[in-house]
Amino acid sequence: MYYLGVDVGSVSTDIVVLDEKLNVYDQVYLRTKGRPIEAIQRGFKQLKNKYKDKEVRAIGTTGSGRGITSFILGADCVKNEITAHAMAGVYYDKEVKTIFEIGGQDSKIILLNQGVVTDFAMNTVCAAGTGSFLDRQAERLGIPIEEFGNYALKSKLAVRIAGRCAVFAESDMIHKQQLGYDSADIIKGLCEALARNYLNNVGKGKDIQPKVFFQGGVAANIGIKEAFEKILGFEIFVPKYYNVMGAIGAALLAKETVESKRCKTNFKGFDISDHVFITNSFQCKDCPNECEVVRILDGEVEIGCFGDRCGKWNQKSHIKSS
Amino acid sequence: MIVGLPKGLLFHQYEKFITEFLKVLQIDYIISKDTNKDILNLGVKYCVDEACLPIKIFHGHVASIKDRCDLVIVPRIVSVHEKEFICPKFNGLPEMILHNIPNMPAITTKPLYLYSEKKTLAWLEDFGSMLNKNKNQVREAYIRGKEIYDRQKLGYNDKRYRRRVLLVGHPYNIDDIYMNMNIKKKLNDLGVGVMTHHYVRDKDKQKEVDKLYKRPFWTFARHTYGSCVYLGRTQQVDGIIYLSSFNCGIDSIFIQLIKNELKDFPLLVVKIDEHTGEAGLNTRLEAYTDMLERKKKNGSNFPASREHLYSM
Repeated sequence: MYYLGVDVGSVSTDIVVLDEKLNVYDQVYLRTKGRPIEAIQRGFKQLKNKYKDKEVRAIGTTGSGRGITSFILGADCVKNEITAHAMAGVYYDKEVKTIFEIGGQDSKIILLNQGVVTDFAMNTVCAAGTGSFLDRQAERLGIPIEEFGNYALKSKLAVRIAGRCAVFAESDMIHKQQLGYDSADIIKGLCEALARNYLNNVGKGKDIQPKVFFQGGVAANIGIKEAFEKILGFEIFVPKYYNVMGAIGAALLAKETVESKRCKTNFKGFDISDHVFITNSFQCKDCPNECEVVRILDGEVEIGCFGDRCGKWNQKSHIKSS
Repeated sequence: MIVGLPKGLLFHQYEKFITEFLKVLQIDYIISKDTNKDILNLGVKYCVDEACLPIKIFHGHVASIKDRCDLVIVPRIVSVHEKEFICPKFNGLPEMILHNIPNMPAITTKPLYLYSEKKTLAWLEDFGSMLNKNKNQVREAYIRGKEIYDRQKLGYNDKRYRRRVLLVGHPYNIDDIYMNMNIKKKLNDLGVGVMTHHYVRDKDKQKEVDKLYKRPFWTFARHTYGSCVYLGRTQQVDGIIYLSSFNCGIDSIFIQLIKNELKDFPLLVVKIDEHTGEAGLNTRLEAYTDMLERKKKNGSNFPASREHLYSM
């Protein structure tokens, strides 16, 4: 018996398979590339031959694409990323007091007291302190993002890069490059700028207590971990499954939902990887809001609608899918 | 003569008064539509980019009706309470409108002090003269409008929900459901009732405000601060949601003052700007509601979920 968790984020789509003892049995990490449905289908294609539909006891979705995904997969539980990350962090270590989660588009800080979320914050309308900022600078420097952290460790002296804004940081970085600074020193400077930005922007006014877990794709970057430790003055822990913690949380929450409701899973089966999903959008003219509604079709059948403010289209699809 | 009423900023607060006032004077008027995508786009197009979203949207409302009326009410509201002020951007509103939007019809430009009947009447008399109405006619319309205005009850006070939060922020951020993506409905759908500062007694607010080291200049900030700190301290709500438009200077000060006062009390600050994608707001509201639920369920002691998971 397995529990599935799916985290559809802006940059990556993660799928985890938990076994009966809730150990991570399998995981898939894919780039979303702005096409969440395709990413899920690719992921489930990889899993299809290894598992049977009836072995799945529950499935949960999270991430910014959780809504669209839940319709396609028949999720038992659709939860926001904060709750999912907190759930997974606490599951691995009940002592955790603070979770840093830095993903592609969002970064979050979650404060916990005895395993319960007591406060959280997310980045505002700003890319500074998020993974996409690093991604972009790595591209500019011509260094694969996976190598970024190791480069930072080579540096003896971090070059000061401006914080506050991803655009300011970029121009500051270019100026430093033009002066001939070493790439490693610049990268270390970037890591420190990101850590500083994160703590100033997302972590503003928060009482950051150890033990701190560092989750999300950016946690792979050892340079950032080190920068955080330098600023905060204590050790930061990167859990083993740092990059799929959201998905793990979603699976745990799905298990909880199915068990508390004593119901069977709604999972539609691994076959969804072979279905043809079509999305089209239209402008609803029924009121002055003129919402841009997205409609998802599984072949001929409409399985879900999004984007309407009044919920008229959204609700209609709920009725159909249940 | 057709008067245009832009449905932005404090329109919702004074709608009852101004429409009755114009009806009594037998003046035709048009009201712009509820804020929508076109109005937002017009606002962004005409307004200076440093302005906050409510000001941009007001520009959009004006632009959407300017060609269909002869006089647009652009209220330069300076003050609604003695020795206090409202947002300073209102002071420059008529100039912003006249210089940003081409081919404007006439607009009202006189400053408006709403705390004093005498000063309000002076403004209305001036406005009346633009409509060719004399002082007596204006006075009668004022009395009838005020009657209706005084009878209305503004704000929300939801009952019968599992949880209840105080929703605060500048009135226009709360009133405009396009701008705030109908946050009240979203919260209600999540099982959370909404109340606003209108249902907190003035003397309770004032008691908290008096403890500040300095009297605040701003009326809205006084209501917001007073109701947040009073309800938070007495735990009469489960949480507070602060709706703030990006860039707002007044909010930036008062959010911090409230945080300092309430420490661990669950406060969610929602910054709104031109976004129309709702995923970001939904995530924050869902996570916030989850937090309130789990906190309550566990008596902020030991999480049921973890007990449950660790029992494996």
